[in-house]
Amino acid sequence: MENIGFQLKSGPMDSLELIRDFLKDHLGLDPEKVTSAVELADIGVDSLMMLELMFEFEDKYGITLSNDLKSPKTVGEMVTLMDQLRSEQS
Amino acid sequence: MSQRRVAITGLGIISPYGGDLPDFFARLLAGQSAVHFLLTEDIPRPLAIPFVSCHGFDANEALGRPLAGMMDRFAQLGTAAAFNAWADAGLSRGELAKDETESRDDWGVAWGTALGGTLAYEKGYRELWQKGRERISPISVLLGMNNAANAHISIQLGLGGVSMSHTVACASSAIALGEAFRRVRSGEATVMLTGGSDAPQAYGVARAWEALRVMASGDANTSPQACRPFSADRTGLVLGEGGAALVLEDWAHAVARGATIHGEMVGYGTSCDHSHLVRPEAAGQVRALNAALADAGLAPEDVDYVNAHGTATAEGDPVEISALKMVFGEHAARLAVSASKSMHGHQLGAAGAIEAIVTILALREQAIPPTAHLNTLDPACAGVDHVTSGRYNQPLRAALSNSFAFGGSNAVLAFRAPA
Repeated sequence: MENIGFQLKSGPMDSLELIRDFLKDHLGLDPEKVTSAVELADIGVDSLMMLELMFEFEDKYGITLSNDLKSPKTVGEMVTLMDQLRSEQS
Repeated sequence: MSQRRVAITGLGIISPYGGDLPDFFARLLAGQSAVHFLLTEDIPRPLAIPFVSCHGFDANEALGRPLAGMMDRFAQLGTAAAFNAWADAGLSRGELAKDETESRDDWGVAWGTALGGTLAYEKGYRELWQKGRERISPISVLLGMNNAANAHISIQLGLGGVSMSHTVACASSAIALGEAFRRVRSGEATVMLTGGSDAPQAYGVARAWEALRVMASGDANTSPQACRPFSADRTGLVLGEGGAALVLEDWAHAVARGATIHGEMVGYGTSCDHSHLVRPEAAGQVRALNAALADAGLAPEDVDYVNAHGTATAEGDPVEISALKMVFGEHAARLAVSASKSMHGHQLGAAGAIEAIVTILALREQAIPPTAHLNTLDPACAGVDHVTSGRYNQPLRAALSNSFAFGGSNAVLAFRAPA
């Protein structure tokens, strides 16, 4: 049944876990291979998928990413950036 | 420049029966309906309509999760149908196979869709207005755009020629086929992938069609028999989702590479009633029928079968039969006519392509699927040879497929049995 009303935020999930879940769902990637030093472009995250990934963070954590936010290059950079935004906007 | 012959070398469909193309055609010949009762969980008023769904279609399985995730349902159905047609034509996807060296820079796509990614738009509206969110998916535009299907198909098949979409309501994919046909025949394209897809099960879309009072009534028991073209007790059309694709190819090219040729596309005629948005006019349909016959070099007596537009609306069915009688004259009484929508429903922008495939298979298999549920012929629809049960071993030489759209746009496609 369609849920009418505001979406509840999901429970606590760390940023790396969210990235791994997203990439497993969208690209079928083994979560073990999604490590901090990996470059997102190298594992198939193009500019469109980056937008989707950022939207996933906004959606799951209720944070707002500015339109001029610079895209992180590595998984680690993304984790750091998202953790920082979550901390600032919590 | 002399005109080329146009071979049909690939056929693909996402069947509402869940099986392959031979299974789809066999079920039509047997008069089996794919219509079911659709009951949604929408609040406060669910959809409760006869509908045709592609239940067995799993987009992730057919396309892979990354690709399927970039598509609305209509593009998923269309791309999967295109993959089926391409495989049927024996052509490689994407990068050329090792033994292929020719350029595909003039190979193109012509696609039909009436609604495009309407489910994506509806999802966005629900997020914004029902759930109170401020943002929606960043790929909403790419999911919703009407040219999404043909864009994905061009990318996936590695085709560098034209990639275009046609939105002409119920004639969308018939127009797409016709435009693709012209490009191959003129020499502008060597191969064209063409077809159409639609997924009209969006809540707002279904409600809009209901408001027009042209939808067939039916419940859980009666829905399979809800669509009854030409029958005196018809109550309207049955919407459905679907996708169908064809490979049209320069005849000499097809022969040179040893392709299986399912049939020949020989003509295309179009017209506009230019009189009313929804009330069809026989005069306009006559112009399209005559144009298709002239384009194909066919005399009326050469045509053995017409797959009718036949939606089962009160106004549309008698007008179509009237147009056929005006064009075919005395031959009309011997002209086999059936409306396969009685079984597979009305897929809007995909209908023309689905029915073109039915027509081509009728010629290839020398067998005619019926108009199912034609219980009592409406006297206003009399005057042609209505096919009410599957006919086998028919000596079919040429056949037409009619598509007549809201807005008064008419398209007629002409085919010949494989030589």
